[in-house]
Amino acid sequence: MSAFVVTATLTAAVTAALAVSAVGQDTPAAAPAAQQPAAQEPVRFEMWHPNTPKSEADYKVAKWGPRHLPSPGYAFFAQKVLPITSAPILDGVVVTRNGTIEAIGKRGEVTVPAGYERIECGDSILFPGIIELHCHIASPSFDLNDTVHPTNPEFRTLDLISMEHDQIKMARAGGVSTALYIPGSGSNMGGFGTLTKTYGKNPDEALVRFPGSLKIAQAGNPERGSGDLGTDMMGMAEGIRMTLLDGKRYWQEMLAFEQGTGPKPQYDPTLELISGLFRHEYPVSVHTQIYQVVLETLQELRQELGLWTVIVHGTFDGYRLSEDLLKAGVPVAGGPRAYHFDRGTGAMEGVLANYANGGLHGWRSPVLGLGRDGVGVNTDSPVIAEEQLTLQAAMGVRLGWPHEWALRGLTINAARFVGIDHRVGSLEVGKDADLGIWSGDPVDPRSHVELMVINGTICYRRNPDRPEW
Amino acid sequence: MRTPTLFALSLALLSAVDLPGQERGRRGRRPGGPPTEAPAAAPAAEPAKNDKPKSYTAIVGGDVYLGTGQRLTGATVLIADDKIETVGHNLKLPEGTVVIDAKGKCVSPGFVAVAGGGMGADRNGPYADTVNPFAPDIKQGLAAGVTSFLAGSTNGRGTPGGSNAVVKLAYGDLDGMVLRENPVVGISMPMSTDERDKLYEQIDAAKKYLQEVADYPAAKAKDEKAKAPQAPRGGEKLVEVLEGKASLWVNLGGGSFGFFRRRGGSGGESDVDAIRQGLDLAKKLGRGVVLVKPTSAWVIPDEIAATGSKAILSPRTRVEADPKAPDHTGSNLASAAILARSGVPVAVTCPVGMFGGAGVGTNGILGQDLNTPNVDVAYAVRGGLDNRKALRTITLDAAEMLGVADRVGSIEPGKDADILILDGDPLHYATFVTTAIVNGKVVYEKGDDALYRHIDRHTDR
Repeated sequence: MSAFVVTATLTAAVTAALAVSAVGQDTPAAAPAAQQPAAQEPVRFEMWHPNTPKSEADYKVAKWGPRHLPSPGYAFFAQKVLPITSAPILDGVVVTRNGTIEAIGKRGEVTVPAGYERIECGDSILFPGIIELHCHIASPSFDLNDTVHPTNPEFRTLDLISMEHDQIKMARAGGVSTALYIPGSGSNMGGFGTLTKTYGKNPDEALVRFPGSLKIAQAGNPERGSGDLGTDMMGMAEGIRMTLLDGKRYWQEMLAFEQGTGPKPQYDPTLELISGLFRHEYPVSVHTQIYQVVLETLQELRQELGLWTVIVHGTFDGYRLSEDLLKAGVPVAGGPRAYHFDRGTGAMEGVLANYANGGLHGWRSPVLGLGRDGVGVNTDSPVIAEEQLTLQAAMGVRLGWPHEWALRGLTINAARFVGIDHRVGSLEVGKDADLGIWSGDPVDPRSHVELMVINGTICYRRNPDRPEW
Repeated sequence: MRTPTLFALSLALLSAVDLPGQERGRRGRRPGGPPTEAPAAAPAAEPAKNDKPKSYTAIVGGDVYLGTGQRLTGATVLIADDKIETVGHNLKLPEGTVVIDAKGKCVSPGFVAVAGGGMGADRNGPYADTVNPFAPDIKQGLAAGVTSFLAGSTNGRGTPGGSNAVVKLAYGDLDGMVLRENPVVGISMPMSTDERDKLYEQIDAAKKYLQEVADYPAAKAKDEKAKAPQAPRGGEKLVEVLEGKASLWVNLGGGSFGFFRRRGGSGGESDVDAIRQGLDLAKKLGRGVVLVKPTSAWVIPDEIAATGSKAILSPRTRVEADPKAPDHTGSNLASAAILARSGVPVAVTCPVGMFGGAGVGTNGILGQDLNTPNVDVAYAVRGGLDNRKALRTITLDAAEMLGVADRVGSIEPGKDADILILDGDPLHYATFVTTAIVNGKVVYEKGDDALYRHIDRHTDR
């Protein structure tokens, strides 16, 4: 790759039209009155990725993992079922077989087929498998940084998955069933991440989608002391742009070939993967945190290059841009740092709360928030141990993120951000049988997972004398 | 080893220049006696030194967690000056009592952190001379519910040592900050046989000295010229431990490297041998020790209980088990519960990490540091510790391990009025301190402080 020569002739900025959000389809889950947020969102968040193929079969670049793998028939009965995309069910049951949810409803109203094992979970809460959007979960090193070049789109985490890795095992004990496993932020592009389940007989069976995303780090870690990219943010932004423009040209040539108006470009495995970003088959997940860096992410990646953009590792005061992100359809997964200490006001600002609620946040006040559907949470494991993902949500709630929104942030929001919500993120008939049987509110650190089910298989059972978590 | 001598010297110098009218001088003032002196009786029992009438404050109508494991619903806590006068229902309040309404709220003893940093005590001892009662992060500590903590070091390699103090977050009140200097003496385990033999010789010498001290009055009565016994050189700290004036902490370091172990999960960790070495020491001393971050304490809870020893844990710090011996290696989330069931008092502290650790601050990761001591307790509850008793791990039992339970850690008559008013269950992750009282004075109000006043609670209590 020789894309890092800073050229004077930049492609004219392609300012994509802002996607004015449409009214969403699904109805919000009923929440107890006490959990209703004070500030109601005036505009529903709608993610922007217009080119995404309609079904898995239409994907040209991304590879989807298998579904409906054999698993026994189970009926899980519990005092409370939280499907997330529909109202809570008291005294409910979830029926699963062959990796899939077959039925869900109230006890007595759902027929459990003969031969299915009935599992009574008492006064537990059935909650969808939790989804982690920013982690280095099976990294053989710490953060998984191979900073060979300033941008490293050639690299991928797909080959570095171990189902027996400490963090992956603990993810199961912590109720986490799906993870976007990405490289670290040591370079501007760490490589392509993988969406994987945290349980499977082997990594192939656990695969959800590769690529899960391209990991980009705009600033706040990838800075290089040597000065070959300058010493500030502009040089790094240029390196990212040139790499992506290479892939864009390749994508346009490939499109021309597909439409019969041009020759087939010479196959390039890296540019092929980058072209998938322009097809909106998967997003760029961007480590971007401070106001100016988030602004750069929004302008460069989302508006100029027209990429499906998801902010991950969202911390510091990037929340000042929540209204711009809402209009542009860019969601945020926040963490691991739940707070930002505002030196101007002396306040401990809740990052997730402020992204979600908007409000009076500095010079552009007041701003609209991303609302119920635009905010998720991540650990950056192993920086925060993977099993503490729910604690990250708890700290968000402590600082003002509405509790019900946090439950969605852990599940359906995260699934939508990376385009896997047709498989996971809620308890619905036809979705993957990923669920945790919790002793209480999953956000409360005092609650624990009794039983974890991934792809219909019971993969974790808590030992009360020696609880893993 | 020379520190105590220097310390005594400086004390002597200090008293020499301690002239009347110089009470506010930077180095001229030292509340209380020398640190080795036995704790004074609760001042509430002493006659008032001046005629000033007591000033009364009552916290009325809250659910009062006493810190002992009990709870009084809708009770009143009456404070007289800087002490707790009484707690109960239907109290008759003296005339002029300032009433704080706590209906619908919870009242708890101020949290006692067995490890801390900053919060007005970031310099070395003697702390009475170096604490800063106006350090801004004191407010942050109070917002976290911490009203006293152990500042300084508890390091001792081979020889018991450390320089520390229990510091109170008495914002704006220099005199009220240092509760006790050097209440903790620390030693690291495991130690080599040579180190142990040397330590045991020192203990024998210290015991001999204490016997000589006990015998001295009789000897002096017999012989005017009888020489006063000399404390063994380097054994001063052990003398304090044997006298019960200092608490001996056995640092096992379990989990210090937990953050790094998480990378790959090296496995196979067991510190049972080191713990047993600590328990041997307890037997030698004839009094229990405090095991600091033992990884494998859950394997031998009854052995620990038999020596009267206690444990400080970071419940969520994980150490991988040895796959070949998983039944008795590695950490256990249920450690606190298992130890408590065997009668071993447990205190809880933060994990050690790259972005957290035992301090407040504005650059860490919330939930991983001292900003949320209740979250660490929550993980002990997750591991099976009784939710009702768990608050003891950051109140009374923590105070016991610091040797200051005579002053703080519970809401009981005669104790320091270090009290929190909370907007919910102290162990709920979304609970905030709404008012913090230290030494009877309101030192933090959520509604008046920029830190958290903008945050409204949206969860159950």
